Amino acid sequence: MAYDESESFRRMWTRKGIRSEIRAAWAISINIWKVELSYPLSVLWFVVMPFLWFIPMLITGSAVAGGSQSVVLNDLAGTLDWVTYIAIGTSIIGLTISLMWGTGFSLRREQNSGTLETLMTTPMGKPTLVWGSMLHNLQHGGLGVILQLAAATMFFGVTLNVWGILPALGIIALTIIGLQGLAFAITCIVLLAKQGWMIVEFITSGLLLVAPMAYPIAVLPPILQYVSQASPLTWSTEAFRGFLMNGLAYQGVVQAVIALVILDIIFFAFGALMFKYTERFVRRKGALEQF
Amino acid sequence: MTATEVEQEELGTTKSVYLMTFKPRLLDWQATGVFALKNLRIAIRYPANFLIWGILPLLWYAPYILMMIAIAGPGTSQHFTELSGFQDFVTFSIIAVFVYQYVDKSVWSVGNNFRWEQFSGTLEPLFVTPVPRISILVGAAFSDTLQCTFSACVLLVISSALFGVTYAITMVAPIVIMLTMMVFALYGFSFLIAGLILVFKDPSVLTELISNITYVLSPITYPLQALPSAARFAAILVPSTIAIVTIRELAITGLFAPASFIQASVLMLGLIIGFWTVGILAFRWGENWTKERGSMGGF
Repeated sequence: MAYDESESFRRMWTRKGIRSEIRAAWAISINIWKVELSYPLSVLWFVVMPFLWFIPMLITGSAVAGGSQSVVLNDLAGTLDWVTYIAIGTSIIGLTISLMWGTGFSLRREQNSGTLETLMTTPMGKPTLVWGSMLHNLQHGGLGVILQLAAATMFFGVTLNVWGILPALGIIALTIIGLQGLAFAITCIVLLAKQGWMIVEFITSGLLLVAPMAYPIAVLPPILQYVSQASPLTWSTEAFRGFLMNGLAYQGVVQAVIALVILDIIFFAFGALMFKYTERFVRRKGALEQF
Repeated sequence: MTATEVEQEELGTTKSVYLMTFKPRLLDWQATGVFALKNLRIAIRYPANFLIWGILPLLWYAPYILMMIAIAGPGTSQHFTELSGFQDFVTFSIIAVFVYQYVDKSVWSVGNNFRWEQFSGTLEPLFVTPVPRISILVGAAFSDTLQCTFSACVLLVISSALFGVTYAITMVAPIVIMLTMMVFALYGFSFLIAGLILVFKDPSVLTELISNITYVLSPITYPLQALPSAARFAAILVPSTIAIVTIRELAITGLFAPASFIQASVLMLGLIIGFWTVGILAFRWGENWTKERGSMGGF
């Protein structure tokens, strides 16, 4: 029997619909886990990473505050408890970096492994490759968030409002849409510039700088405050922290959700369109496998 | 080339005088110079990198300074002054960020030097040359120190202008002496990392781990006294700690205290000897371990 008449071949080419794309994305996500877990040091890094990022902030804060309360922060952000404010805010750093770097460089990683062209010839949708990587990084970064928050609660006296956990997860879901748009844009930079890590570093570090993770945006220079308001990360950090600190009594929810939905639409539409045309352009140029 | 050598070359059996008279040495300065020049030539091909590395760290350290301002208000706090003896935490942090650039460079560049050679496909040819490996690493370290000095100065100038801080320019001489000693101690530290990377291969995770641990232990945005006592002892073993403390004192106060400077220099000399010894031994062990398993070129 010729290969192109085989059952598996027919099934592969007649596959369609969102379920098959989800299955493909899931398979990609599991594959990345398998690769990561085969390096023991990666596992160790994954466990200690949230602490190593949070501890210098905690020591720095202690050195200037001299206690667990800050009157200055109370005036700026409406809370005296700077440890909880920073612990919750910075817990999203790992997730953001994971989504931006891990997802943005997913195609480059496949290229380095020599599997990009093979994957591109499979009948799955091209964006599914990026979605699969996003799914993995969501699990990876999400576990990091849980780990950091659990450690902060156990060791540093951080208190979380349990009623805010579900709405905070909803905010994370909204965040992912906007960040996925950015990840698509980063993928395009990587596809075009190949070694575009410096551009990506500037974008990621810039976004983290203007996001109110360890400080309210009021301490930023005015021009950066405008930039901050145009970033989905700003609204998601505020809302995520607002829910986990105040539970359902968080007052900025309407403003944060509206801003996030609008920014999600803009960022996602822009990123997805950019990816569609860049991927087509790179394939037409025959530059997919070029280093 | 002599007539005999030409004749031998024609026969395809050239014997280099260097190879014939070669005796193993600890360091080959000529090879060090050649390697440093080679790395500098490559670096100069990308001039934008010098500027970028002067700006990028600012994006990483500015959040710490902004966080301090958000918690304590602009510039100072009573607790910080009591703990550190300094008034302004922004001035306190920026000079330390400048010094720490050398630590970052030693971990990421020199420590990973052989990994980059491996990616370029030149690691195995380099390892069959009759040159002490340490000479290659020292060459890479020299070139990186020059690049780092330029980028760190750009960073210091930009940060000082942005945050409006000033330092005592009259203390340049003792600062340069202390910085040079720290850089030499860091060379030993980077040999140690280079050995570990030869063994563990995956540089990103190991380097991230080492880089983050040294960052936590270094008194950059907080004084040494802010660390728990056990961590304080570990911090002294990071070559940059003594240098940061001494250079910060000199640059901010503008006062030179000979006794404390000599004490810091003696400690730094001890670190140089200690790190070079441990670094060279660790690197040799890593090299032998990798060669025995035939995994030198493996990823």
